[in-house]
Amino acid sequence: MSTVIVGLFDGVETAARAGRALKGLSLPGGSVTTISAVPLPDGAVVTDPTPVRFPRIVIAGWFVGAAAGLGLTLATYMLYPLVTGGKTIVSVPPTLIITYEVAMLGALLGTLFGGGREMGLLRFPPKVIHDPRIHDGKIALCARVEGDEQARRTIEAMREAGGTEVRAEEGEL
Amino acid sequence: MKHTWAMAIDLDRCTGCGACVVACNAENNIPVIGEAEAGKNRLMHWIRVNRYWEGEYPEAQAVYLPIPCMQCERAPCELVCPVYATYHNEDGLNAMVYNRCIGTRYCANNCPYSVRVFNWYDYKWEKPLDEQLSPDLTVRSRGVMEKCTFCIQRIRRAKETAAEEGREIRDGEVVPACVQTCPPGALLFGDLADPHSEITRKLKDPRRFRLMEHLGTEPRVVYLKRQKGAGR
Amino acid sequence: MSTEAPRADDHHLAQTDETALFERLSRSNLVTTWKWYLGVAAAGAVLLWGVIVFLYMAMVGMGVTGYNKPVFWGLYEASLVFWIGLSHSGTLISAILRLTHATWRAPVLRGAEAMTAFTLMVGGIIPIIHLGRNWRVYYALPYPSSRELWPNMRSPLMWDAMAITTYLIGSLTFLYVGMIPDLALLRDKSAGGRRKFYSALSLGFRGTHAQWRRYHVASTLFAILIIPIAVSVHSIVSWDFAMAKVPGWHSTIFAPYFVVGAIFSGIAGVVIVMAILRKAFRLERVLTPLHFDNLGKLLCTMTLLWGYFYFTEFLTVWYNRNPEEWEVFSSYAGPYLPLFLTMIVCNFVIPFPMLCLKRVRRSVFLILVPACSIVIGMYAERLLIVIPSLARRNDPFIWANYFPTWVEFSVMAGAAAMFVLLYMLFAKFFPIMAISDIKERLFHTSDRTFGGTTVESIAQVEGEEEAHA
Repeated sequence: MSTVIVGLFDGVETAARAGRALKGLSLPGGSVTTISAVPLPDGAVVTDPTPVRFPRIVIAGWFVGAAAGLGLTLATYMLYPLVTGGKTIVSVPPTLIITYEVAMLGALLGTLFGGGREMGLLRFPPKVIHDPRIHDGKIALCARVEGDEQARRTIEAMREAGGTEVRAEEGEL
Repeated sequence: MKHTWAMAIDLDRCTGCGACVVACNAENNIPVIGEAEAGKNRLMHWIRVNRYWEGEYPEAQAVYLPIPCMQCERAPCELVCPVYATYHNEDGLNAMVYNRCIGTRYCANNCPYSVRVFNWYDYKWEKPLDEQLSPDLTVRSRGVMEKCTFCIQRIRRAKETAAEEGREIRDGEVVPACVQTCPPGALLFGDLADPHSEITRKLKDPRRFRLMEHLGTEPRVVYLKRQKGAGR
Repeated sequence: MSTEAPRADDHHLAQTDETALFERLSRSNLVTTWKWYLGVAAAGAVLLWGVIVFLYMAMVGMGVTGYNKPVFWGLYEASLVFWIGLSHSGTLISAILRLTHATWRAPVLRGAEAMTAFTLMVGGIIPIIHLGRNWRVYYALPYPSSRELWPNMRSPLMWDAMAITTYLIGSLTFLYVGMIPDLALLRDKSAGGRRKFYSALSLGFRGTHAQWRRYHVASTLFAILIIPIAVSVHSIVSWDFAMAKVPGWHSTIFAPYFVVGAIFSGIAGVVIVMAILRKAFRLERVLTPLHFDNLGKLLCTMTLLWGYFYFTEFLTVWYNRNPEEWEVFSSYAGPYLPLFLTMIVCNFVIPFPMLCLKRVRRSVFLILVPACSIVIGMYAERLLIVIPSLARRNDPFIWANYFPTWVEFSVMAGAAAMFVLLYMLFAKFFPIMAISDIKERLFHTSDRTFGGTTVESIAQVEGEEEAHA
């Protein structure tokens, strides 16, 4: 639970002005972000310093799926081996097909869960910072601050840049 | 001893009488489906006698081709069953497991000889016809595939008897119903693994051919080409 | 030459009344008319009838259908291919248009993705419907049974099971993840029970910068993954036929041919669904003639592609005159002539000339003619693949024709009703328009003056490096 200063801005220009001002205040990195109804290009108002990491989980999911598919196919061949159509017990082409399908499933699930986790979804913290007015074309600029001095200077900077409804809220950013 | 069951069908002798079909139906609890269903192409015969016409009237000649299950060495039907309801057993026969079948009918589609038949209904034997049912094999439920098994119940019985008596199966001891019944003796059954069996000798005949051999199914049923002409 | 670059807040979204836009796009969620209730009731009734007839068939036996020896596969299996083919709609629209940054994709995305998910559900049920012993379908599942038996992975039907499962999970995930920002929007705009519903479904998405960045990566990854899955699914469905020793089925061209046919019927399906959505929810200003024009151009391309594949198949059989295949193709001039003519006329003769005309493509009413024609033609094509090859297969003595009975028609009508019902319920409770994507598109669009003319300019963020420059 931290103190977050939230300000509403009418457009990208004003929000960007505020963003530049906040950069000058040297708040701890990663604590300034926007909440918007449409994605803003990185660097338009704020930049995201943390790299997107979950694609590794996708690749890991692919390999886990491939192993599962391979294991499943080999197990069904060998646990109760039956000759069918004169083919070998361990038939390679069907193995490749099943392995591929389960691998893709693994990658899909990796994207779903890895991406979901990194987006912070499915966590419902008790108080989270949000403003439904973003759906009316506003951009909410949020800055996590420590201490009253930082809070005061942040509120001032936002108001100067043209922000409306600048207030301090307690919650998770 | 490992067996290689095979059947030889001498087309010189086949008269197209259809006794093999009747015998098979009686032996294997195959239902009589009635005229209406037969008109819808749903005959349940495990062995059928194909009739082809040669020539034009008045010299038209019928050619008969009895077709049981070929028990293919590389059976295309076994490959496509998703639940292993049909597989190749130790005797080299294509085994059908009725209670495993879920009725996808892919095996029937993949059989180029169209020897597989499907139970479209739960067929009933009204009393007292139910007394004709053989206890050696089941009555199949609706939704299940079935086909000629080379009378596997007779093969099993012969194996049991031979094992009890502590000997090998003698040539001619296993006789499927169709082979047993064929009046002109066109059908012959035996063990190709036995070098002295009648079928091994018979299949040295240069008239031998197999049906649709180009498909690579390697059938166990070998035909002997018809050589005698019209009016024999 | 003087050009004036627009300023950052001169975009179309700033000039839009967002509340009005939201209400226009969410009409399906916000307004319920008696027509909706009637539609749901009708679809539900047909579905119920289909279920009853299916249960009758399951209890009495498949003899009540028109199946026989040798035509062991018929209407059900052809319909399976048809429905799975329709499911390639959303994959093409959503995934490929997303990856190629097609600027017109936004209004079509959600409807197409929903179509994929629900046609796939219908297609996924048919393998259970067509079994002789449906209640034993679980034998095909890999689970440790008391018989110690496992399914046979060499069977193309098992490949089907794996592929369709993966594709179903993939398309549902794709649909759902694509909806998350819109569900967040609906959450923020609703109250009470509806708010709780959308809150749970939106999983706490808010729209922070970090979330949007990762959301964009996830969407792109899904799009990249779903395309090879879709291609593999319809290839595997085609291999149900291509692996068989049936003349006319055993052809190496089947995999690409089926994929092309699937995309073909899928786009036609999207055109029809979009036209219906446009009329039903008064989305005339969102689904514009431009969208139908572009879909029409895609459809025209696919008509040519389909024609090319079909001609290739026909040419090789005609040229080789392999007796087994030739008998199958000869039957197209015999008992299957009506089906064959329907296919050729509906897949090529009607659509191709019509779709070449801009006037047809830009008219929502006129483009429905080739689209409906294609859906009919592709259904005929599926029937033409399945039935004649079995009816005129290897042994001439057992040749037989096939015609479905009322049972098969009823069950398949029920399946179609299931799709309609699912779609209508989806449009009622979920956002049928990709509101966030449409807003994003408006956000990127501005008017740029080139001397005497003004042109719409759409900003494209190519890569992260340029943004930081």
